[in-house]
Amino acid sequence: MNRLLLCVLCVLALFVSVAPCLADTVNGVLAEERVVNLPQDQDKWYISVVGDAADGRYKEVSGWFDSNPSLLKLKTQVQFCPVETNTPIYQERYAGNIKGLPTVRMQKPDGTVVYESAGKDIPLTAAGLNAAFASAVNEAQGLRPILPWRRDVDRRLNKCQPQPKLEPQPQRDSDPEPQPINDGDTPDVEPDAVVWAAWLLAPICGAALLAGLCLGYGKKLTAKWTPSHW
Amino acid sequence: MKRIALVVLLLATVAGCESPRRFAPPVRKERPTVNLPLALRQSNWWGEDGQGSCTWATMVSLLRWQGRYKTADWVRQNCGDGEWPDDMAQRMDQANIRYAYVSNGDVKFLEWACHTRRGCGITIMGGGHMVALVHLDAHWAALLDDNAVENYIWLPRETLIAEWKASNGWAVAPVYTPAAPLP
Repeated sequence: MNRLLLCVLCVLALFVSVAPCLADTVNGVLAEERVVNLPQDQDKWYISVVGDAADGRYKEVSGWFDSNPSLLKLKTQVQFCPVETNTPIYQERYAGNIKGLPTVRMQKPDGTVVYESAGKDIPLTAAGLNAAFASAVNEAQGLRPILPWRRDVDRRLNKCQPQPKLEPQPQRDSDPEPQPINDGDTPDVEPDAVVWAAWLLAPICGAALLAGLCLGYGKKLTAKWTPSHW
Repeated sequence: MKRIALVVLLLATVAGCESPRRFAPPVRKERPTVNLPLALRQSNWWGEDGQGSCTWATMVSLLRWQGRYKTADWVRQNCGDGEWPDDMAQRMDQANIRYAYVSNGDVKFLEWACHTRRGCGITIMGGGHMVALVHLDAHWAALLDDNAVENYIWLPRETLIAEWKASNGWAVAPVYTPAAPLP
């Protein structure tokens, strides 16, 4: 009997000691029922692509965010908002403050516009648009752009940067595929690397030097053969 | 020499004309945070069982705010009547709607929903009604009541929290991309 009582007391003591550890109190209410990790994406920037759904240029620019790897990567780092002109969101939140159609706009979470282009001012290529975003982000953060030949060095030095956390794939519905759930901050945009042959630099410099020497020598010869008392 | 100086001077004055605007003008913070256009606000409707559909009406409004127009239309056409948290979660799962909810009065959930500009549906009136929470800051809260969608209802933060906790503390939010802030 004593043993039974001892066991019961031990079990009760265990419950008393463990319960406060499990129950996380938030504003006086137990929060152990929380079942999801909410995305902490309040610091994500916004990119809006605004246009007429039937307009080819709008389709093209929107499509860049799925076809161009750099813009696709950027899309997952920001709140991406495609806005068509036949929606109330366009009428009430864009119609009065855009300069033309289509429009591409990048904003900070507080609404500050860091990049905007409309109509013919939108870069002609996806790489151009990505470079414009990169420049705008750098400028907004007060950073100098990273020169192309420095990028690999910086990448190697920043190897320990945390990778964005990816959650399970979102479910499908009849709307466009939703963006993945992830936390977010200022987007990390790099202009596409310009493909140029670095090995050409040495021969070009050599040729320029040679040309300079030849010109100098030619001038000297001309001066020598030309009578100075003419 | 004078010509060269003139050309240099002209170049110096022309340089930088195409420079983009360097500093954006200061931005005013939007109030409420979830500033739903009137056309996106869904009024309550009677379900097939003769009950109000406040939970679904709130979801329709928030789904539209987050750019899920077709999903919102589907909910409007296929859902209705009152809901309990578990039943609603089941319906949302079946409809492949991405959402998050609490039913334990965790205020952090409300703060998250408004801080991320998504908004959420919350219970009031002892759990008998759901409205959209569209703003929550250190002092004030704003609600959009699906029974009167024309105007927001502003009330002190603590009043709102007390009312919500006394009403089962249920809150539910679709988790998609909120509309961009006004420039």
